[in-house]
Amino acid sequence: MLENLPLLAAVNLHKTYRKHAIEVPVLTGVDLEVFAGEFLSIVGSSGSGKSTLLHLLGTLDKPDAGRILFNTERIDNLPAEQRDRLRNETFGFIFQFYHLLPELTTLENVLMPKMIALSVRGWLRQRRTLKQHATELLDRVGLGHRLHHKPRELSGGEMQRAAIARALINRPRILLADEPTGNLDADKGLEIIRLLRDLNRQEQLTIIMVTHNMEIVGNTDRVVRLIKGRVEDATKSPSLLQPTMTG
Amino acid sequence: MYKLLLCWRYLLTRYLALVCIVSVMLGVATLIVVNSVMAGFSTKLRERLHGLLSDIVIEAHDFQGFANPEGKMALIQSDPFLSQHIEAMTPTLEIFGMIQFACNGTALARPVHIIGIDPAGRARVGGFAEHLLLHKGKPSFELSPEALERQHVLHPPHRLDRIAAMLLPPPTDGKPAPAPPPLDVSPPSTIIIGYAIAHFRAKLNPDGPPEEVRTLAPGDDVIITTIKGHGLRNQELSPVQWRCAVCDYFKSEMSEYDANYVFVPLSELQRLRAMPDRATSIQIRIKDYRDLHAVKDRLQTLLPAHWELTVHTWEDKQGPLLAAISIEKGILNVLLFMIIAVAGFGILAIFSMIVVEKTRDIGILKALGASNRGVLNIFLSYGLLLGAVGALLGSAIGTAITIYINEIEQFLTKWTGHELFDRSVYYFNEIPTDLNIWSVLVINVGAVAIAVLFSVLPALRAALLHPVRALRYE
Repeated sequence: MLENLPLLAAVNLHKTYRKHAIEVPVLTGVDLEVFAGEFLSIVGSSGSGKSTLLHLLGTLDKPDAGRILFNTERIDNLPAEQRDRLRNETFGFIFQFYHLLPELTTLENVLMPKMIALSVRGWLRQRRTLKQHATELLDRVGLGHRLHHKPRELSGGEMQRAAIARALINRPRILLADEPTGNLDADKGLEIIRLLRDLNRQEQLTIIMVTHNMEIVGNTDRVVRLIKGRVEDATKSPSLLQPTMTG
Repeated sequence: MYKLLLCWRYLLTRYLALVCIVSVMLGVATLIVVNSVMAGFSTKLRERLHGLLSDIVIEAHDFQGFANPEGKMALIQSDPFLSQHIEAMTPTLEIFGMIQFACNGTALARPVHIIGIDPAGRARVGGFAEHLLLHKGKPSFELSPEALERQHVLHPPHRLDRIAAMLLPPPTDGKPAPAPPPLDVSPPSTIIIGYAIAHFRAKLNPDGPPEEVRTLAPGDDVIITTIKGHGLRNQELSPVQWRCAVCDYFKSEMSEYDANYVFVPLSELQRLRAMPDRATSIQIRIKDYRDLHAVKDRLQTLLPAHWELTVHTWEDKQGPLLAAISIEKGILNVLLFMIIAVAGFGILAIFSMIVVEKTRDIGILKALGASNRGVLNIFLSYGLLLGAVGALLGSAIGTAITIYINEIEQFLTKWTGHELFDRSVYYFNEIPTDLNIWSVLVINVGAVAIAVLFSVLPALRAALLHPVRALRYE
């Protein structure tokens, strides 16, 4: 029965930002359900609140009103430590500007979520296995030859691949991608989408992607449009009849 | 784990942080050098003071002293506890006075502290014989042959006596002719004078370092003036003056003593001041320094109150000076720790800049699951690391400077032509240092603590950054 329940759900989410005493409502009652194994796109114009929604879903921010449920359990009001752990273990993030740490090598960047999760002793005990796992992940995203390069030595596409490997190191349940192709040319962007699609199909990875690029949403299972802070329309991909189905 | 890795990487890649390290390093190095030199001066001064003063002094209130010092010493010796603990005793007669002498035709006069001593007895009490320049270890008021020769030059035998001897008729009764008057004239008295009275430092060569100039050679005349009491109960004072020949110098390397003290034979001073068998103090040396206060207490109970004698330890006598040194050291430490506090403000400013610069990275870390406490710890550990590296380098530099301070001083004096460490002030042959491992440790801990303390504010700011705002920061 659990399969028919959403893995992640937003219920009547509200979020307002304040800029110099001026209130800017961003989300005004968003309802959304994401099912396990689904590759969901959230589209909308600039300022429609799609990144804010992604941040709320990933517990990076708190809604002013409404609830976020993960496996039917509310997660938006959890204590900070538990939300930190969720971000570390359950969610994987990728961003438009890659957001790799410039002081670290590609391998170290990929290992960062593991380092955050482990104590010094735990890290020292497992470091060989973890490094091997990270290397395999980097191989998988096509960066096996760039392990010890710093982010500044990588191209945009390579940096985004490294960011994807980093997001996958803790084997997350849900990958949250914020404009992952926004800073790449069309070809590189398509490569990234293909990679995400492969991960979704092969690993049953649930992906929620925010984008304003309508060309790439065709590769996803479902598209949700945000207009003025609300979910305007939900269009099922013609290739998929059931949300829980995977290609 | 990520905290250590990021700390280390930030240390290696943020060159701005080097400024923090350098400022902590300089502060720590300065503190170590100043502390070691101050401690060196303090230790040396204590050694010198204790070396010069006997362990315990029994003093009279009256400048006319007390009668029968030998009897009092015998009383002390008769006490079983004291005789067991006392090594040596000697009476001294101390009075202020004036010394006059001629230097290059100019008459000079200066106040002095005249001490009448029995050289052998004073030597047993310590802090005297080893400081004599000519009769080191064998104190004596005798003139050396060179000094005698100089006296002879200064005071040739009266010419008329010699002429008279030559004019005397030859002996007729077969008896040998009477011997002519002796050629040498013994001076009326001899004196050991403080080294700084007889020498001064002057820059003879404008380009060279200052040199030592001698104003009084052994055998030279000086005139000592002091007072003696007479009349009813010696209440009326009149001056007394006598000529002496310099027989030795007293060089303790303490300017206070070397510039003011002159020693004359005790019996001579007693005679001239018309106070036979009197002394103003009894100097006592004890066998074990740890018994100092026990011996002092016993002496206080032993000596009858009507004798009006006070018992002081050497520390009591030099209490204000020793306290002053301690206070000076304390104040200097507080002031110097302010240098590190200034370095702390540098850390605060630079850390704040680094936090601003790293805002987006902080957002990334939080998105990856790093807690506020984790981010706080990154920057606190970073402060700790900067402080520790700075303190470590500072300790190395400070220790090296302390060890080679005299070589550095010599080099700087030679290079600048200006004497940095004026030996005429302390008469230390070299800058004394006392490198104490505990004070180095305290300085290090203090410096690291200050570095951490000043990184708390920027670290808190980083920890409390909102992850979304941090990620969007440009």
